[in-house]
Amino acid sequence: MKFWINLNLIGITLLLCSAMAYGQFTVKGVVQDETGLSLIGASVVVKNTTIGTTTDLDGSFELQVPEDDVTLVISFIGYETQEYQASAAMPEVFITLAEATTQLNEVVIVGYGTSRKEELTGAVTKLQSAKLEQVPLASVEQTLQGNVAGLQAVMGNGQPGSNVQVRIRGIGSITASSEPLYVIDGIPVTAGDITRTNTTANTMASLNPNDIESVTVLKDAAATSIYGSRGSNGVILITTKSGRSGKPRIDLHAQYGVNDWAVSEKKRLKPLTSEQYTQMFIEGWVNRGESVQDAIDRFDGYYPGAVTFNSAGDIQQINVETNWIDEITRKGQNQSYDLSASGGNDFVNYYISGSYFSQDAPIIYSGLDRLSSRVNVTVNASPKLKITNNLFASTLDQRGMSDGSFWANPLYTGYFLAPVIPLKDDQGRYYGEHLFFMGGNNPVGSLSGDDERMFNQLRILDNLSAEYEILKDLKFRTSWAIDRIDVQEFFYRNPRYGDGRNVGGFATETNIGENNWIGTQTLNYSKSLNNIHQFTFLAGYEAQKNQRKGLELSGEGYPNPTLRTLANAATPTQASSDLAEYSFESLFGRVDYNYRLKYYLSGTVRRDGSSRFGINNRFGTFWSLGASWRLDQEDFIAGLSFIDDLKLRASYGTNGNAGIGNYDHIPLFGFGEAYDGVPGGAPSNIGNVDLTWESTNSFNVGLDFGLMNFLYGTVEYFNRESTNLLLDRPISRTTGFDALTQNFGAMRNNGIEITLNADVIRRSDFTLSLGGNITFLKNRITKLDEDIIDVTKIRREGLDFQTFYLYEWAGVNSQDGTPQWFTDSTQTELTGNINNAERFISGRSATPDFFGGLNADIAWKGLYMNAQFSYSWGNYLYDEEARFLQGDGALTPRSQTNLNLARWQNPGDVTEVPYFRWGGNNNSNVGNMTRWLYDGSYLRLRNFTLGYRLPVDIVNKMNVRAANIYLRGTNLWTYTKDKDLYLDPEASINGVVASPVPNIKTITFGLDLGF
Amino acid sequence: MKIEINKKLRVITVVAVFLISACGKDFLDLNPHQSIALDQAIQTIDDYQAAVYGTYSALQSADYYGRYFVLVPDVMSDDVKQNAQANRARDFSDYQATALDGIATGMWEIMYDAINRANLVINAEVELAAAVQDQKDEFIGEAHTLRALAHFDLVRMFAQHYGYTEDNSHPGVAIVTSFDQNARPERSSVSEVYQQIVDDLMAAIPLLKVDPGSASRFSAEGAKALLARVMLYMGNYQLAGQMASEVINSGKYSLVPTDQYVASWNQGLSSESIFEVVFRADDDNGSDALGRMYLPEGYGDYLPAADLLDLIPEGDVRKGLFKTDATIGGVYGNLRVNKYPNAQNQNNTPVLRLSEMYLIRAEARAILGDEAGAREDVTTIRQRGLPSASAVTASGQALLDEIAKEKRIEMMFEGQRLWELMRHKENLVRSDCTNLVCEVDYPDNRFVAPIPQAELDANENMAQNPGY
Repeated sequence: MKFWINLNLIGITLLLCSAMAYGQFTVKGVVQDETGLSLIGASVVVKNTTIGTTTDLDGSFELQVPEDDVTLVISFIGYETQEYQASAAMPEVFITLAEATTQLNEVVIVGYGTSRKEELTGAVTKLQSAKLEQVPLASVEQTLQGNVAGLQAVMGNGQPGSNVQVRIRGIGSITASSEPLYVIDGIPVTAGDITRTNTTANTMASLNPNDIESVTVLKDAAATSIYGSRGSNGVILITTKSGRSGKPRIDLHAQYGVNDWAVSEKKRLKPLTSEQYTQMFIEGWVNRGESVQDAIDRFDGYYPGAVTFNSAGDIQQINVETNWIDEITRKGQNQSYDLSASGGNDFVNYYISGSYFSQDAPIIYSGLDRLSSRVNVTVNASPKLKITNNLFASTLDQRGMSDGSFWANPLYTGYFLAPVIPLKDDQGRYYGEHLFFMGGNNPVGSLSGDDERMFNQLRILDNLSAEYEILKDLKFRTSWAIDRIDVQEFFYRNPRYGDGRNVGGFATETNIGENNWIGTQTLNYSKSLNNIHQFTFLAGYEAQKNQRKGLELSGEGYPNPTLRTLANAATPTQASSDLAEYSFESLFGRVDYNYRLKYYLSGTVRRDGSSRFGINNRFGTFWSLGASWRLDQEDFIAGLSFIDDLKLRASYGTNGNAGIGNYDHIPLFGFGEAYDGVPGGAPSNIGNVDLTWESTNSFNVGLDFGLMNFLYGTVEYFNRESTNLLLDRPISRTTGFDALTQNFGAMRNNGIEITLNADVIRRSDFTLSLGGNITFLKNRITKLDEDIIDVTKIRREGLDFQTFYLYEWAGVNSQDGTPQWFTDSTQTELTGNINNAERFISGRSATPDFFGGLNADIAWKGLYMNAQFSYSWGNYLYDEEARFLQGDGALTPRSQTNLNLARWQNPGDVTEVPYFRWGGNNNSNVGNMTRWLYDGSYLRLRNFTLGYRLPVDIVNKMNVRAANIYLRGTNLWTYTKDKDLYLDPEASINGVVASPVPNIKTITFGLDLGF
Repeated sequence: MKIEINKKLRVITVVAVFLISACGKDFLDLNPHQSIALDQAIQTIDDYQAAVYGTYSALQSADYYGRYFVLVPDVMSDDVKQNAQANRARDFSDYQATALDGIATGMWEIMYDAINRANLVINAEVELAAAVQDQKDEFIGEAHTLRALAHFDLVRMFAQHYGYTEDNSHPGVAIVTSFDQNARPERSSVSEVYQQIVDDLMAAIPLLKVDPGSASRFSAEGAKALLARVMLYMGNYQLAGQMASEVINSGKYSLVPTDQYVASWNQGLSSESIFEVVFRADDDNGSDALGRMYLPEGYGDYLPAADLLDLIPEGDVRKGLFKTDATIGGVYGNLRVNKYPNAQNQNNTPVLRLSEMYLIRAEARAILGDEAGAREDVTTIRQRGLPSASAVTASGQALLDEIAKEKRIEMMFEGQRLWELMRHKENLVRSDCTNLVCEVDYPDNRFVAPIPQAELDANENMAQNPGY
């Protein structure tokens, strides 16, 4: 109440003053960004005048204006310019500037430097921290899905901290890595999974996404060729935050929420109930020609007392009912707490942070805890010398589980285990006496502490760099970095039941230590001739060496289930260590030129040598040329008022893919083939001395535009021609090997990317922006001597890389309930014998026809809402485990899923599920067939946020700079084109799903405070 | 002027930093730490040893003597029946295998892998000091024997037996005697494959001058014992008998006494073992070990059939190679195979035993007309099992039947029964049958495994067996 009185008083006073000054009055205000950070040096100008000022260290300003009702124009580099109607009646203003994401003058991090968007000749997409902060996901790559045109980021496994597959402009390789290069603050780092006994892990999950200032995705040759032999799959540049000059800013983020399966309960696979299983059990034997009584006798042999039957052979009473899937399902917690401080003065800038992130999957045991901290400090030792050290350390604990068709996979065994097997035994221990049944595995006990499968990952990345201005316009920069990753894995199986039973329990401890050092030296020279010709030259030298050492120890025979270190194992069974290394040595350069800020030309070249390449092909040179033309600077366009920005650019160049094994080129003889206690060896690698990087030639043409001051966008066409593809060409097994790695094949990825953003409404108290991106991608194998059949896929010249190659399922014979297949691609003839059917190409592929994202932002006063969707269309998914889980009884006496309830039972039944028979129904589950191929098209509400930024006058009362509360949901809603799809549509890139931890739906509540 | 010097100094400093950071010439020459270049693999006698032991190591695979190569022919025979929840090798047991079968692929790959390992030793051609010449010969001899064994195993599993056609011109398997990464061999005839096996064994025997001192490796007698079996399959009874005699008369082996017979199966390397694949704790195939396919502590997928059990006389010590299991019953009986009894550590897999040599010689003698000698040999084995058994007195076909019966009992679950049926061109009749298929008349395409689809996909010269 008092507060309002004060405000009114101020208002009245100001009103009086202004009246006295004949319309003149003073506007006071604060300019902040969306996160509540004060913007220093923002320009505040009365529209169409020269009257103006800039904001001070608090982001505040005072401006004497000549008349009532003036329009203020507030602008700051990197932010959207805003106009504000100031009146003497409301002289206190509070301005929030949105970060510019669409304008051409944005600063963009590029390889070995920075650029402005207007100067770029290449295809580059930048994501700002606002999109990355407090997203309730473990690793930053997960946020990229749907946010960057041309980029697919797929997790395919809900295990917190799991590996994320990223593909930029399609798959460029058949057997080598298709993952992009990750560069953190200029340092090429290790990404992906380096664990051994865990199913999935991600070294990038160590990074705290809140520490990231921006993520820049480099897509075409002009942008990536400076990374030479490692650039062909695109490059992801991650830049961490640094302090800006000004008084210290403290930010506190807190978030808490719950995790659930992303697939709705209605759609997901369900295990059979005891009644359903028992009926199916009897039916399965009767269909094998046995009597009901024989079947009941068998049932009682397996599950004594679990079900009581009456004399007619009907179920009288169910005595045991275990829903194994329910027992492993939970609501997981999702928490994140993050504290950072930043600031600086003329001599020092700093950003320091510490965070805790914890995510528990909706499956018991599965989860992740991360502690991380960062210290980024820059010392301006003299006007010419700047020294920076970025230090990051993080420790991560992940608890995981098996996937695929391993008996220890709870999402596989959980369906298989008969519901008539009890959860616990008479002593209250988890039951494990069902020895006839998958080794007596009990997933609930296993995940409740009887077993372990976990690791700790410690990662330290330190980067010391110094930048020195030798002469005017000539800068030298030296950078030395060490990236150290230590992984300690622990895998334990208890002695009482499951996989460890026969050996009295076993454990494996693995240590993986990776040391990666990189030294980079660059010279940078800029020259402007009469402000007409502007040149920038960059020359650099980089050396990198990576060492990974592994240590594996195992033992078995555990006397006490609570003592799990190897010291307690009766028999050591393995003690082994290994060491692998690679090195790169590179020279590179870049020239940028522009004429009157209208015509831009850039060229890059890099010469790379690597230990990974065969002795005959150790060095390679990669280059690119790019050009752009700022049409909006031409007189004939400048006159068109509806065009704000218009730029045409094109690039062409080469780069390589060195994502191949460290020693693939050497024919090797390996040991570890001991016999009778004596060391033995054997040919272990077929080798190829000519082996070298894969090459990619990329062409890109793009148009960037801004229209009518509200519509921004980019349209691009790209064509990536990958040649010299490393092919594991299958060879005759009579050689003793199954494949020969060689540089042979070629592949093309071409397509169109469109990104559009519209500021539909932009008023000071109400904004609405809509945007989206779409990528049409076409992949073709353009050179391949002979077909490669890779389980469910075929690689053939002229076809999409991900083309499925399966037996064509033709449903169930409605007369006798047996399975049927089409004999061949004519699909005219049916057969009940899979040996008489052949696999063929039906044009279905795991590659989407198009994919992308949509987003909507609405803000009204402090209230805001953000919705971000991702989608993928036209791709197919194959359920690899269905042949077992929906095997029509092939695996006696394993339970099946609810899908088997629709089985054929009587002549005339029309169904897709053959009759149920123990031992299988005429090979209905043998071989990979279209029976388990699904349309994977989906649209998913990836992120939804509803929040409220407290008004600055209120929070200032609380001695707080900014405050924001919000509700956020991840994967809240999913539409799948295939109504019956029980799988999560975000499966792995290759479209093959193997009973992973389900993807997660998260609902969180968050609070951000700035001081 | 001062400024100029300063500038030069700065430039020099920067150039110096560049140079210091530049790496040495060998910066990019990194060699692996777990392997050595293949062309460096065999340089010394120790290298020969490592390569030969590495070849033996291939035999330990669960797709080879570690499990499937021994299990599959038995589950295709009448000695074994399927347990209700059997999920492994079932397609073979039910005669439903397809070219996509993982077991067929696994066996094919590991056997050719073993051949490639042996070829590396045989083709090394490294001059070594005279002092180690005998040792080197020994290793090369072992490699020849191992190569013969792998070809023999391949041709038995993937081709119709010797004698299937009059002149044995029917397709065998590819013969591989040297490494060529581009090779796409076609199938040689069975006759040619057997010739290669015999050539290898004949080459090996004179080289095997030094006995390795353990049945874990091939000695000259091991090669002769293998040759004896090969000759028996080829119907060369003269040589089969002669080879068996040489092994028996070498004095290196003796039949395990009756009272120690059962225990010897758990111990391994018994006095009658000529060659067996040894498993130490770190070679253990875990749940994929051969024995665990039979044991209730393992998968327990296969059970002994009454067809076999009924042949074993009461009181015969070999009845001790089974154990009762109360948890099964009905058509499945209550017995488990206990010939490989260790559920913790994999038992050794026997490949050649002295008792087989007696039975080979018995058959050879019977056919060549030395019926007294034949009766003596078969009686030796029978009375070792049951000392109170009366001596065999039969003659003619009845004597051959007695020998076949004795061999079936003695060699049970050692992966031999199916080959014996084929050799004798007999129908498969399972009277104690829990399988889908209880009878298969000889001849039948399905008695041999399919050539793996993966091989056909990569090698257009390879022809599939009919029926797949």
